[in-house]
Amino acid sequence: MLSKSQARVFFLGGTGLFSAIFLALSVDSMRQIPKLTRQDQLTDQVVRGKRIWEDNNCMGCHTLFGEGAYYAPELTQVVARRGAPWIKLFLDDPKKMFPGQRKMVRYGFSDQQKDDIIAFLTWCGGVNLQGFPAKPPLRDLMRPTATTASADLAGQPEIFRTICVACHSVGGVGGVVGPALDEVYKRKTREEMIAWIADPQGLKPGTAMPKIEMPVERRIEIVDYLLGLARTPATAAPVQPVRPAVDPKDFE
Amino acid sequence: MKYQSQRVAYWFFASALLLLSLQIVYGFIMGFARVGMDGLHEWIPFNTARATHTNLLVVWLLCGFMGSAYFIIPEEADRELWSVKLAYAQLISLLVVGVIAIICYHLNIWEGRKFLEIPRPLDYLVVVNVLAFLLNIGMTLWLGKRNTTTSLVLYMGLLFAALLYLPGMVTVKNQTVDSFYRWWVVHLWVEGVWELIMGGILCYLLIKLTGVDREVVEKWLYIIVGLTFLSGILGTGHHYYYIGAPRYWLIVGGVFSALEPLAFLGMAIYALAMAKKGGRKHPNRIALTWSLGCAVMSFVGAGFLGMAHTLPQINMYTHGTLVTAMHGHLAFWGAYAMIVLAMMAYALPLLTGRKLWDTGVASFAFWTSNIGMVGMTGALAVAGVTQVALERRLGLDFLIVQKEIEMHFVGMLLAAALFTVGIGAFIWLFIRHGLPSAEARAEDFEGAVAVGK
Repeated sequence: MLSKSQARVFFLGGTGLFSAIFLALSVDSMRQIPKLTRQDQLTDQVVRGKRIWEDNNCMGCHTLFGEGAYYAPELTQVVARRGAPWIKLFLDDPKKMFPGQRKMVRYGFSDQQKDDIIAFLTWCGGVNLQGFPAKPPLRDLMRPTATTASADLAGQPEIFRTICVACHSVGGVGGVVGPALDEVYKRKTREEMIAWIADPQGLKPGTAMPKIEMPVERRIEIVDYLLGLARTPATAAPVQPVRPAVDPKDFE
Repeated sequence: MKYQSQRVAYWFFASALLLLSLQIVYGFIMGFARVGMDGLHEWIPFNTARATHTNLLVVWLLCGFMGSAYFIIPEEADRELWSVKLAYAQLISLLVVGVIAIICYHLNIWEGRKFLEIPRPLDYLVVVNVLAFLLNIGMTLWLGKRNTTTSLVLYMGLLFAALLYLPGMVTVKNQTVDSFYRWWVVHLWVEGVWELIMGGILCYLLIKLTGVDREVVEKWLYIIVGLTFLSGILGTGHHYYYIGAPRYWLIVGGVFSALEPLAFLGMAIYALAMAKKGGRKHPNRIALTWSLGCAVMSFVGAGFLGMAHTLPQINMYTHGTLVTAMHGHLAFWGAYAMIVLAMMAYALPLLTGRKLWDTGVASFAFWTSNIGMVGMTGALAVAGVTQVALERRLGLDFLIVQKEIEMHFVGMLLAAALFTVGIGAFIWLFIRHGLPSAEARAEDFEGAVAVGK
C-alpha cells in the first residue's frame, strides 16, 4: 500500500502534470479562438454591444452560448430566429410583445444601443460553437409539411417577413410560437383577420398575440397576402400524420 | 476550544447563517416568479434575484470556510491566531463589500458575467480582504509549533482560491475568451480548489470525530485531492464544448469529466471507512452525521448528477437548461454547504460550552434540510428533462415549454419550504448555543480532546 510520502508525490506530481497540460491546451485555444470566433468581424460596435449586455446582466435571465440563467430564451441565434426589426420592436416594450407572460425589464435603449446589441448578438451567432445549439432532431416529425409554394415566400409583405415570422410560419418557414398561417384563410374571413391584428387582446383576452402598432394599410397588406395563399395551391401534398407506434385498432 | 482566538470563528459562522437565510429568501422570489407570481418584478427583476441568490451562496460559503479555517488552524498549528483584530476587521469588511454588491444589483449596477457579477471596484476590495485573511492564517501557521498535512491542504486550497479569482478580472473584447477565463475562476474554484478546502475540513473532522490515526487519514486525503485535480483540472473542458473553443475540448472535457465522480466517490468511501474504523465514539454524533452526509451527498450531487450531463453528446441538448440548475443545487449543498454546517455542528459546542449535540432538533435539522434539498433537486430534474425533450428535441418555443413545466416549480417551492424548516431548526439550535464563552474548554468534553491528537 502507498505510504504517506508516496501519496504526497501522487498529489503534487499529478496536479503539476495536469496543470501543465491544461495550460498548454489553453495556449493553443487562444491561438485558435480568433479564427473560430471570426475575430476580424469583432468591430467596436460589437464590443459596445457586449458592454450593454454586461452592464444590464442579461445573462441573469437569458443564456448566450448556453451560458447564463434559464429564465429567458437562449440568444445565440436570436438574430437569425427573430430578425433585427422584431428585436428592436421587442426591446421598446418587452411586456407588450408577450402580453401576460414572463416579464422582461423595459430598459429604454436608444436606437444606437439597440443596433449595438444586435451587432453583438449577430457576431455571437456567427461564432463556431461546434454545432450548438443543435437543430431539434424531432422537429420535422411534429411539424406539418409545407403546403405553400416557395414562390409565395418571396411575395411576403415587408412587415410580415420581418415581424410576423418571428412567431408564425408560412410554408414551414418562421417561428413556432403561434400557429402556422398557411391555411388561415380557411378559418377566418378578411374582416375577422384585420380586426384580430388590430387588437388581439380586445377580441380574446389572455391571448399570447401582441398588439403591434401599424397603419391600417399594413394590416390589409398582411391579410391580403394570407388570403392570397388560397390561390396558390400547394406544390407539396399535405403529408399524412405520422402513424402512432401503437394503433388503437390493434386492441379492438 | 483550546485557544481563545478560535472564538473568531463563531462570528464567521453566525454571519454565514445570516447570509444563507437571505439566500433562501431570494430563492423563493425566483421560485414564485417561475410560477407566474412575479409581483416584485419592478423592484427585484429575475436577474437581480438570481445574482443575489448565487452571490450570497458564494459569500456565505467563503464566510464558512474562513470561520472553519480560523477554528482549525490555531489548533493544528498549536498557537493563538496571529491577529484577532485583523480577523474581525476582515469579517466586517467582507460583509460590507457583500452588502454593497447586493445593493448595486438592485440598482442595475454590475459586471454582468455569470457568478462574477460584482462591480469591478469591489473586486479589488475582495482581493484585499482575502489577502488579509491569508496573511492572518499564513502567519499563524508560520509561527506555529507544528505543520500538519490537514492545515497545509486547507491553506493551499484557500491560497489557490484567491489566486484563481484574478483571471476573472481580466477585461477582454471577445465573448468566447471572456467565457474561457471566467471558468478558470468558477470551475477551478468549485471543482478544484474548493474541494481541497472541503477535503481539508473533512479530514480535520474525521480525525477529531473518529479517532483514526492522523497518518492514515491524511495519507488518504492526499490521494483524494490528487484524484480531484487529476480529473478536475482538465474537466474544465466540459465548459468549453460549445462556447467557441477548439473541438478537442469535447474529448478532453468528456473523458476527464467522466473521471470527476471518482474523486467524490473516493471521498465518500474514505469518510465512511474512517467512521467505521474509528473505535472511539465521540459524543458529538450529529457532527459526524453532517460530515458523512456531506461526503455522500457531494458524490450524489456533484459527482453523479454532474456526470449525468457532462458527456458532450448529452450536453449538446442539456447545456443551458434547467438540468444544470438541478445539478447545481445538490452539488453545492452536498459538497460545500454541508461541510460548513458540519464544521459548525462540531465547533459550536466547543466554542460555547453547551452540549446540544444529541437533541431531536439537531437530527430534525439534518434530515429535513436534506430531504427538502433532494426534493428540490427532483423537481428541477423533472422540469429540466421535460424542457430538454420539448424545447431541445421537439423544437417547441421556449415560453411555451416554460408554461408546460410551471407545475414542477410548485413542487420545488414545497420542497424548498421543507428545506427552509430544516435550516430554521439549525439556526434555532445555533442561537440556543449562546455566545462563545471564555470558560468553554475542550477538556470539558469527554473524548473530544483525547480522541483528536
